[in-house]
Order: sequence, then C-alpha cells, then structure tokens
Amino acid sequence: MGADRDSCWPRAARGGARVRAMLAWIRAVASRIRVWLSPGRANSEFAQELEEHLAMLTEENVRRGMGPEEAKRAARMRLGGVTQLAETNRELKGLPVLETFLKDTRYALRMLRKNPGFTAVVVLTLALGIGANTAIFSVVYAVLLKPLPYAQPEQLVTVFQAKPQEGVMGTGWSYANFAELRKQNHVFSEMGGSQFHQLTLTGRGEPAVVNASIVTPEVFSVLEEKPLVGRVFLAEDGKRGAPAVAIVSEGLWREVFGADSNLIGSSINLDKRSFTVVGIMRGNFRFPQVTETKQLWIPLVQDPLFGSWIERRGGHWLRVIARAKPGVSMVQVQAEMDAIGARLGKEFPAENDGWAVRIASLRQMMVGNVKSALLVLLGAVGLVLLIACANIANLLLTRATSRAREIAVRATLGAGRGRIVRQLLSETAVLGLLGGLIGIGLAYWGVHALSSLLPESVPRVNAIGVDNTVLGFAVLLSAVASFAFGLAPAWFAANSNLQASLREGGGRAGESGNRRRARNLLAAGEIALAMVLLVAAGLLLRSFGKLMAVSPGFDAQHIVKADISLPQFQYSKPQQWTAFSDELLRRIQARPGLRDAAVAVPRPIVDGFVNLGFDIVGNPPVSAGSSRTADYVSVSPNYFRVMGIPLMAGRLFDAHDTLSAPRVSLISEAMARHYFPNQDPVGKRLTFGFPPDGAMEREIVGIIGDVRDVALGQEPGPMMYVPYGQAPFWGANMVVKSTLGVSSVAAAIREEVRRIDKDLPVTDIAAMPEIVDASVAQTRFRTFLLALFAGMALLLAATGIFGVISYSVSCRTNEIGIRVALGASSGSILGGVFRETLMLALVGLAIGLPCALAASRLIGHLLFGVSAYDPATLGAVALGLATVAAMAGYVPARRAMRVDPMVALRHE
Amino acid sequence: MGGSRAEILQGTLDLMVLKTLAGMGPLHGYGIARRIEQISDEALQINQGTIYASLVRLMQKGWISGAWGTSENNRKAKFYSITKGGRKQLQAEAENWERIATVVGRVLRAAERG
Repeated sequence: MGADRDSCWPRAARGGARVRAMLAWIRAVASRIRVWLSPGRANSEFAQELEEHLAMLTEENVRRGMGPEEAKRAARMRLGGVTQLAETNRELKGLPVLETFLKDTRYALRMLRKNPGFTAVVVLTLALGIGANTAIFSVVYAVLLKPLPYAQPEQLVTVFQAKPQEGVMGTGWSYANFAELRKQNHVFSEMGGSQFHQLTLTGRGEPAVVNASIVTPEVFSVLEEKPLVGRVFLAEDGKRGAPAVAIVSEGLWREVFGADSNLIGSSINLDKRSFTVVGIMRGNFRFPQVTETKQLWIPLVQDPLFGSWIERRGGHWLRVIARAKPGVSMVQVQAEMDAIGARLGKEFPAENDGWAVRIASLRQMMVGNVKSALLVLLGAVGLVLLIACANIANLLLTRATSRAREIAVRATLGAGRGRIVRQLLSETAVLGLLGGLIGIGLAYWGVHALSSLLPESVPRVNAIGVDNTVLGFAVLLSAVASFAFGLAPAWFAANSNLQASLREGGGRAGESGNRRRARNLLAAGEIALAMVLLVAAGLLLRSFGKLMAVSPGFDAQHIVKADISLPQFQYSKPQQWTAFSDELLRRIQARPGLRDAAVAVPRPIVDGFVNLGFDIVGNPPVSAGSSRTADYVSVSPNYFRVMGIPLMAGRLFDAHDTLSAPRVSLISEAMARHYFPNQDPVGKRLTFGFPPDGAMEREIVGIIGDVRDVALGQEPGPMMYVPYGQAPFWGANMVVKSTLGVSSVAAAIREEVRRIDKDLPVTDIAAMPEIVDASVAQTRFRTFLLALFAGMALLLAATGIFGVISYSVSCRTNEIGIRVALGASSGSILGGVFRETLMLALVGLAIGLPCALAASRLIGHLLFGVSAYDPATLGAVALGLATVAAMAGYVPARRAMRVDPMVALRHE
Repeated sequence: MGGSRAEILQGTLDLMVLKTLAGMGPLHGYGIARRIEQISDEALQINQGTIYASLVRLMQKGWISGAWGTSENNRKAKFYSITKGGRKQLQAEAENWERIATVVGRVLRAAERG
C-alpha cells in the first residue's frame, strides 16, 4: 500500500515541527469535513482547474508544432486519466473513510444478502467464537483482573509464615507473633488479623448459625472501610476486659434482623453470650469471607474459640492482611519481612526457628489455584476463535477467487488497489460486526450459564457479568478477528494479476498457486490447532476418569453428614462435649434405621484436615529442620464401621476408651509403612495431641485402611486416629449411614438434638456422595469446558477441510472429466481426492504434534494419573482427526467420482 | 495498475512542490508541473495530474494557499503560493534535504530507466 497519504515527509523534524504537524493534521481534517459537507463546489472547481491545465498543455503542444487533435490527445496523456484524477481528488478532499465506508457497507450488505448461506455460516461461526471467548473472558476478568472491592487494593498484601523445608508454603500466625510483626515493621501503614467460624445466634426467633469473622480491630482501617451506620472497632475493643461488641453486615441486618432500625446499641446473643451491636457494614463489603453476604464481625479477644489463644506464641491460625505504605515496593516489603522473620526466629526459637515470613498480594491469595486453570481455558477458547477465523478466511478466499473477475473489472475501471482492499475489508468488517453482535448475545447467555454452573469454590463468582470492559473486549475481539480473516483474501485480491483474471473468465477454472497454498495451509493449520485442543481435552478427560475411579478409602454411599456446634460459653468443659455427643449418639442409634451413626472431626474431604507433629516413644527425637507429622482425626468407636474403613491389624476403639482409661490410637497403613517399616507398630507408643493433652503418650492398638482425607486427587498420607472419648471437640460432626434418605435422617437428628438442648441448631446437612462430588466440581467443570471447546474445534476443522476439498474438486471438475473420459476408474479418482485430504491432515498433524506436546506440558499440573505425553491420547487424537478429515473429504470425493465427463467437458 | 512508483514519489513530490513555490512565487498547477520538469532537465516526466493530489494535501495542511487569478495568456487559473507555515516546514526539512535529494536522484534514475 505504500506510505500513508498524510505522512508526506520522510521524517518530521522534532520539537516545533511536531506541533506544526499536529496543527496541519487538524486543519486537514477540518478542511475535509468542510468539503464533505458541500462536495459540489469543490468538484466543479477542480474540474475547471483540470480543464485549464489541459488547455495550457494543448497550447504548449501546438507551439511545439503538433496538429490540434494530436496536441489535445498528447495533453490528455500527459495529464493522466481525468476520471481517475477526479476520483483521487474527491477522496483526498472529502472524508473518504466515512464516505466509502458507508458506500462499502451498503454494498457489502447487498452482497451478503445475496449469499445467505455463506453469510449465515460465517456469522454463526464467528458468533460462536466471539461468544465463547467473551464468556470465558468475563470470568477471567472478574476473577483475575477486576479490582478487588477495597480501597487501593493494589496496596493490600497478605503476610504469612512458611516453612518450605517441611513443605509448609504458607500458614497463619499466632497472635503474639502477629503483634510483634505489627510493632517491628516500617513498611505497612496498618496490619490486621482475621479468622472465621460459625457462632450460634439466639434470642431472635429460631436459633441460627451465623458466619462470624473474628478480627483484630485494625482490620477495618487496613481496608479503609467505613461503616454504613454506627462505627467500626476501635483499638480499645481489642483489649482484654473490654465490653463485647459486634458489627453486622447489611445482609444479616436485613435478613435476620428484619432491617431493625434500632439494632445499633441493642444486644444480640452469640453462643449464648451478649454482644452490643455497634455498626452495620455496606452489603458488598466482605472480609475475610468473600462470598458470604450474611456475616458479622467480633473482636478476636471476645471470640470463645480463638480469644483464649491470644497469649500463646505457638500456633498458626491468624490470617494477616496489611496495607503497604504508599511508595513502598513489594521488594522492600519482602526484605523487611525477611529481617523480621530472622529476628523472630532468634528471639523465640521454640516457636519460630526455621519459619520464614512471606507475602502475597491479596488477589493472589484469594485466587489461588484457579488462575492457571482459567488461563488454560482462555487459551483454549482463543484457539477456537483462531480456528474459526482460519475457516472464515478460507471461505472468503474461495469466494474471492470466484469474484476475481468482478474485482478485475473494478480495477480496470480505475479503482485503486487501496480502494479494493478497503471494500473487501468492509465486507469482512460487516461480517465481523454481525458476528460480534450475535456473539455478544451468546456471551450474555454464556455468562449466565457459566456463573450458574461454576463451582461455588471459584473465588469472586459474584463479580462475574457482562460489563463495559467485557463488552469492550468483545468489540475489540470482533474487530481483530474480522481483520485477521479478512486480510488474506483482501491481500490476494489486491495482488491478483489483472490480465489473467480477465482472461480466465468466470474465475472457476483456476486460481493462483499461491492462493491454493494459502488455503491448504489454513486448513492444515486448523487441524494442527484442533489437535492441540483435542490432546489437551483428551488428557483432562483421562485425568478426570482416573480421578473418579480413585477409591477415597471410605464408602460414601448412603452417608449423611450433619453439624451441631456447641456454644462454648455454655459448654465450656470437655466433659460436657463428651456427654453431649454420647447422649446424642445413644439417642440417634436407638432410632430405627439409624444404628450406624458416628461423630468424627475432621471428617475426610468435608472438613479439611489437621496435620500434627508426633514423636515415637523410644525413638530418638527427629533432627532439627525436619519433623514427623500425620493427619489427626478424633472419632467415635463405630466411625470406621459407618465409613467402611477396614481394620488391618489390632483392634478398633470401643466404649471403654474414655478419659479415665489408658490413651490409645489407631494409625493408617501409610503411617505404618512410612514410620514403622518392617516392624509391628501395634503396641508401640506415640506422643501427640492438642494442649492440654499435647505430650500425652498413646498406645497404638491397631492399623486402619488409608483414606484420602485432603482431596480425591491427593495420595493418602499418614493418619492417626484417637477415640472421641479421649479427645472430644466442642460440637458433634456427625456421619450417619442410612437408607432412609437425607431428609428423614435430618429430621431425626434435629428432633433428638432439640430434645437435648432446644437452642442448638443442626447445620450443613448433606449427602456425603454429593460432597465428594462437589470436591471435584472445579476439575469436572474445566474438563467439561475444555472438551466442549475441543469439540467445537473439531467441528470447525472438519468444516474447513470439507470446504477446501470440495472447492478443489469443483475447480478440477474439468480435469476429472477428462480423466474419466480417458478411462480412469472411479476408484482412482476417489483415491486421488482421498490422497489430497490425507495429505492435508498429515501436514496438520505434523504441525500440531509439537504444539500439542508443548501445550500438554503447560497443563501438566492439571493432570492426574496421566502423563503429559500420554501416547494413547496422542495416538487416539491423531487417528481420530485423520478419520474426521477423511470423512470430511469423502463427500466431495464421492462427487468427484460421479463426475459425468460430458457435463464436465462442457463446463468451460 | 500503475505500480507503486507514484506512491513512493508522493512525499518527495510534496516537498518539490513546496520548494518550487518557495522559489518561484505564486504558480498554477500547470506552471508547477512544468517547473519541476524543467528543473529536472525534463528527466522527470511526471504524470502531471499527480501534482493535484500533492496540492490538495499541502492545502489541507495549510502549507500553501490557493486563489483564482488570470494566467499569462488570459485564462482563469488557480494560483498557489507558499504560506508562512509552509516555509517553516520547508526550513525544518532542510536538514533532511540531502537525503531527500538522494532519494529524488534515485527516483530520477529510475524514471529514466523506465
């Protein structure tokens, strides 16, 4: 195209020249608008100017001795085509961009209306691509990009302790360590700590369980958050002995307190203790529980659970958030944290030796492991769009070939190359716009579908939606896409050989080798891209299959779980906890069909896990810098029978294993294997437990089957069990195996709990299989989406091949006819077309293989039980793609086979 | 199609027009075209029509101005003259002149050949 019309100067001089150039540009645009508004005058003036010029040239020629006619003719030649000059002049003086755009758009719409099939295919293909991309982008944007709903969120960091040498990559703080950190650092303007659990709200109708955020008072100033009404916590609220105060969320205020206007200053009962409400926070302020709309905040010191841990320096339970001072870089923050971490290790070696202090942005913390899966999905859906573009480009190329004559005629009549390219591009722009519009419609639907399908564990799900940014993305994407698929056809059209096109007549008979190569390359590229997606989807599907086939070590079938949390002010002694759970189990087991009831904490998959250090009595203590740990579970005697966890050696717990009996424990097979190789662990003693029972020796009385307690996809680690009677908990986390159905079990539990204490709510009742299922929801979801995208890719690639082969066959109807007439068998014709198809497929697979391998390395961390280079998946995908390609080529091949030589020869 | 020679010429042609107007005072399109041909010893046989595209561009930028007047042989003609802005632009480009001249030289040789 050469240089832009307006950049007349090889290189503008700097400084004043730049200003001058800008002024000149503004003047030029103004002048163009002026002329565009009244084009008549400018045109007639120009015509007159040219006329005078011609006259002067003619006079000159006459002076040189030419005859009048010859002089005139020579003058015309010298000046150039008047029509073309007038056209250029119009373009230069007016607003050609706008003018020709309008004209081109009208023309494009007419062309597209004339080819409804073509238009529909292109627009729908594009719409699918844009819609899918926009929908996925809306999720990516909400989760990864949209600013967090706090003031200056980029300054917010989470600070945690880590012991990488033991695989602890990040954990919380003890309050004492947090207080030290807050005092010693100079990089944060403020720091706060938080935790959350559930408390029982009573005194207002039915007892309700509320999500309580346990915070240090500074949390609100870290987040720079003002209350809707009332006040936030003050430093005094965090001191021992201060009156108990609480802040409620707008959601809780509206739904639980009926938007009571007198709530501020009145008192509410949490775990049977009175708190005065001092403030209400705006509805979308959520911290630290980011998805919870109904929550309340109480000062850490008032919390029945964590409040008593404040003085202890050991432990890692307080999540710390901090706001970096303005202008302080993350590198400076980390440097200071390193120094403080080292200092803490020296000052309090018992609790802090070997612990490092790490930081992460708040977003990083919230987004966690979702990020990479989302980026993989975005990449995948981007590839789908790329394939769609290649497909459309191919269609357009085909069409451009059959339009070659039309374009040649335009060029002969004086259309500049730029003009032709612009016209073709506006056709694709119209296609892009239509596709984009429908795509945005699809995206609305897709976003809706996605946000209802997305697992609840995805952070910031509530922020997903089609907003201006997402719309902007969709528009930009349509523009880029239409440019991408429009460029190649336009380029070929502009560079076509004029004479050849005109000679060739209809443009059916042949086309340039370049163009055919471009089309074949596009089709092969589609296969390559489809292969990447199919391999990725195949690997994820196989992983998911493996994951679903994994045995969790327990039988979730017919198990119902339910939680009863005991208010700790009322039930403050462990003896009360045991008494409650004993009574509850006795009552429930007495009911028909509910004999298999047990309590356990923490329950596998449901409650997460508690990893605890232990010592083996008689063994030397572990060397510094390493430790023995196992997952700790406290269970009632019949837990193993209820859960179907087999006993491998020794005995199970029984009713005699109480606080008055010798302490006992059971260990898992993995623990036996790992810590007692070639020995019989039964009869050996372990030292572990929670304070005040921390250093209690417990005899191993049996070995129990392994359980995947953390996640289905994680190999079972060492686990140690203690009898509930010897290690009770302030609540009853129940599991009941029953064929009665969830609602009858729930009703029975509720009834028995009410008989013991009418103020105790039963919460989180659910069927165990559903919970296990939900634990793999994210995995299932991303596998499903990637498989969907791969399916789209396959379909598109198949269409692409079909298009290329059909076109190639229709171009060669003539040749095939001659061959048939000369006696070629239909088999050899079919074979020829098949060879062409397979060649395309093979080239595509050859390009696709290394790309697919690279892509599977990228998703390696999402795989389970399958190698990223799984030959079975690769082979199946390659074979499948070749088969689909062959099928796509079969239809045109059949057509080639049936070519009637007489018809074909008359084709010309 | 015309090939790409005219499009390469475009920038330098604008400059030559400016230079011509700066040296000769007000001229009409024909005059400018003739003058450029003369200066180049008739070696630069431009399609005289292309001069008008250049004139439009320079007008739009405010570097030249145009007014209808009467030509030597009593014809109505549009006369173009360089503006103050145009002179500044020309001056600013002086340092590039050598390079442009080389380019023009190359174009002239190309034009001679073909």
